[in-house]
Amino acid sequence: MGQPKVDTGELIQGTLEMLVLKALLRGPLHGYGVAEWIEHTSLQVLKVEEGALYPALHRLELRGLLEAEWGASENNRRAKFYRLTAEGRKRLDAETQRWARLAAAVAFVMQAS
Amino acid sequence: MSRKLHEFWLQVKGLFRRRQMHREMADELEFHLEQLRAKLLGEGVAEEDVEAEVRRRFGNAGRWQERLRELWQVRWVENFARDMSFAARLLRKSPGFTAVALLTLMLGVGANTTVFSIIDGLLLRPLAVPHSDQLAVLGIQRGGHLGHSFPEPLFRGLEGRHEALATVFASSDTTLQVRGRDGNENVAGDYVSGGFFPGLETAPLLGRTLTAADDRRGGNPAGFGVVISEHFWESWFNRAPDVVGRKLTIDNIVFTVVGVMPKRFIGADPLARPDLYVPLAAEPIMNGARNMTDAGVDDWWLTVMGRLQPGVTLAQADAEEASATSAVLHERVTDAGWLDRQLKSHFQFRVESGSVGFSWVRQEFRQPLVAVFAMCGGILLLACLNLTSLLMARGAARERELATRLAMGATRRRLTQQLLTESLLIAVTGTTLGLAIAPLVSRALGALLLSGAGDAHLDTSLDIRVFGFAALAALLATLTIGLVPALRASSSELNEQIKSGQHTIQAQERNLWLPRVLLSFEVALALVLVVGAGLLASSLVRLYRSGEGFDPRGVENVAFSIDKSGLDHDGAMTFYRDVGEGLSHLPGVRSVSFTLIVPFNQRVWDEDFAAARTQPAHDIDLNAVGPDYFQAMRIPMLEGRDFRWNDTKDTGLKIILNQTAAKLLFPQEDPLGQMVYKSDGPIAPHVPYEVIGVVGDAKYENLREPVPATGYAAMMQQDDRRSPSYFAVVRTDGDAGSVATAARTLAQRLAPGIPAPTMTSMMTTVDDSLSAERMMALLSVFFAACALLVTAIGLYGTLAYATARRTSEIGIRMALGARRAQVVTLVCSQNALVAVAGTMAGLIAALLASKALASFLYGTTARDPWVLTGSVTALALIASAASLLPALRAARIDPMAAIRCE
Repeated sequence: MGQPKVDTGELIQGTLEMLVLKALLRGPLHGYGVAEWIEHTSLQVLKVEEGALYPALHRLELRGLLEAEWGASENNRRAKFYRLTAEGRKRLDAETQRWARLAAAVAFVMQAS
Repeated sequence: MSRKLHEFWLQVKGLFRRRQMHREMADELEFHLEQLRAKLLGEGVAEEDVEAEVRRRFGNAGRWQERLRELWQVRWVENFARDMSFAARLLRKSPGFTAVALLTLMLGVGANTTVFSIIDGLLLRPLAVPHSDQLAVLGIQRGGHLGHSFPEPLFRGLEGRHEALATVFASSDTTLQVRGRDGNENVAGDYVSGGFFPGLETAPLLGRTLTAADDRRGGNPAGFGVVISEHFWESWFNRAPDVVGRKLTIDNIVFTVVGVMPKRFIGADPLARPDLYVPLAAEPIMNGARNMTDAGVDDWWLTVMGRLQPGVTLAQADAEEASATSAVLHERVTDAGWLDRQLKSHFQFRVESGSVGFSWVRQEFRQPLVAVFAMCGGILLLACLNLTSLLMARGAARERELATRLAMGATRRRLTQQLLTESLLIAVTGTTLGLAIAPLVSRALGALLLSGAGDAHLDTSLDIRVFGFAALAALLATLTIGLVPALRASSSELNEQIKSGQHTIQAQERNLWLPRVLLSFEVALALVLVVGAGLLASSLVRLYRSGEGFDPRGVENVAFSIDKSGLDHDGAMTFYRDVGEGLSHLPGVRSVSFTLIVPFNQRVWDEDFAAARTQPAHDIDLNAVGPDYFQAMRIPMLEGRDFRWNDTKDTGLKIILNQTAAKLLFPQEDPLGQMVYKSDGPIAPHVPYEVIGVVGDAKYENLREPVPATGYAAMMQQDDRRSPSYFAVVRTDGDAGSVATAARTLAQRLAPGIPAPTMTSMMTTVDDSLSAERMMALLSVFFAACALLVTAIGLYGTLAYATARRTSEIGIRMALGARRAQVVTLVCSQNALVAVAGTMAGLIAALLASKALASFLYGTTARDPWVLTGSVTALALIASAASLLPALRAARIDPMAAIRCE
């Protein structure tokens, strides 16, 4: 709609995965929940494309950073819930630090006159 | 790494629940869509617009579900499956090539697996007993020669020692006579010492095994016990559950069955299948006056094995037993002179690994088998080389296809993978076919090999080692036949190919040297195999032609086992006289006689004879025969007279010498009427025999050796220490079957209760005595024929491909005036070069390799010029035939059509 749409393919590589890990830090969520949370928390700035979200979730699951389990959603529908593993938590920490450094560096460069 | 592993594990798991996974993916997306719809509705989007909005945001659900699936796929497995089906399609498209490839490999792998499974069964397979790796075989080293038979006293000396070997046990195979309803029957058995079953650690199926308490003179208070095999339990007792405690009369002694051994237990000889195990200590009363136990150090009849003490190595055991030698000898041997002679010849006990048990047959066939195995390896190599050159030729024909695929973005690695998959498919299919035929062939081959070894049982069933070997063969074959063509076909030259069109002559010339080298190598290898086959076959023919000294055709030998019948010497002679009388009246029977030892039957009896008391003794082979023996065998009587039935013990000992013995003992004089003296140990140093005749030379122990100096004693003059079981020698023009029937009827009437006599023709005995030679000659001729065929296919196939690719060139040549003969020469010259180079290399290799065969050859040298010439000629003929066909086809090319085609 009217808001700027962020094509996740254009996000710096790995950023979407980092966001997904972050979304799951507070507890298990299904794919839709992850997308909602990112959109909501970014104040609708970041819109996650389903076409990129699910491959990212599955990739993380395959690598053992997430675990998946089928459960009942808030409206009592069967849904696939993802949960961070210990490995995933570690990865999120590393990514957070890396991102902070990167963002600071980019901001620094952009502020230079 | 572990993350990769995790991923792989999930992917592999995914392979097995694919459908469920796909359903779950669809469910997950469906859930997402519903949530989205609900949200849009909640935001107030009109119901009719919701679907369009969802589709807009979502895009093509099918496409990115595909992406999810890809994530879960194991890339190489999917690629592999795709390559496989592609390769299968390609192979189906060229059935000729496929058939040749599969046949060649089947032959190569089949032959190798066959021979390997025989080698495995004969030499490698461990005994089926617990901890067979702790077993050891004991031997005796004397004067640089290692023997494996022991006399009873020395074994008893070793049995009591436990320093390095926890148990030492002895066994000896024998034929036992078991009394059944219709008289005695011959049954294969083993004399075993008390430590035999404890040492082999196998639990009985029923009852108990024999122990040291059973292995005592006189047995335990309840008499002697016998352990029977499961097979015997089945055939004799019909698996009666109360078999333990039942009585069996064996060699006229009553035994009590104490236990039944399971089928997998076959004793200590991997090739024997004894049905009865009787205590070693029962041997003296079973064999009475002729027993081997009381013969002491004069009879070497026991195989001795042991089980290592825990923690003791073979080397330690070897050193320990060697150091015990002198003590055991002094403790057990009373004959001081004998002891002195043994100690002088560096007599020593040795210990070797016994995990595979011990078999006499093994010693005999090890070398021929290894030689045959080498030939098989040659065939497999040949098959692989052949496939390599065929695949390369084919690869050359497929250059365009491959180049196109490269140009379209396939990586070189993928192309190599795909070509390797093709070779793998060929290799695996060919190997499987080879494996499928291997058991049949190996059974037949095993039977052929062991036909001379009595009733040896060879277990050639496929086991882990044979499978491992076949897998290794398949792997090597895949790599050999696949790698070179794959690497070359995907080389950088391909890009040039696609640029410069199909029939670039320069590229072709460049591509041809490797196949040519391979083909030359193949020709060389084939020549080596053909030369080897020629040598072995001509050696076998020479062996047969060398002559036995008697005429084996039409002679039947009938074995009578009367040693447990209770007949005394005179009774036995009357029995034989009556049997001879009865048999001689049969239609077609020319003459009948008797012999103690049938030639080439693995038995020898030798004694020391001197021409005078004062002269040095000579070793003379001896046999005991009845009257008319020389007539029945057609051995010429040169001087003097034959034995008569009335040459009994009372008329003075008589002997008939063969020519060699006569010349050895009486170089100058006429031997007729002279006395010769047999030295029979310290008790009877000079037993006189009168020479009453001289006969022609005839071979005795085996056909390979020259005729030994032989003496023939009269069966009527033997004492009770010799077995009274003789063979009837029947020369007949008539039906052999009627002789067998008559012998059985006569035996039943004249000596009721003796085992049914068995008949073997003399020709069979001669053939069996050459079974190793026959096997080698047969196999090598078969392999050589295969090698010639495979080489011809290779030469033909490669040339045909190469020529097909030169069609337009040949067309141009012909259009420019080349005659057909010139075209034929042009094409043929390619193979001629290969054939000449290969032959030269092959001749050199054959000359070097044939030295290894020298020990198997009889009456011929490894450089037999006839064999060499013949082999080269055969190869030249085959090569010409294989080259002429493509050449003639090339000469029939229509120049116009060929050029237009381009």
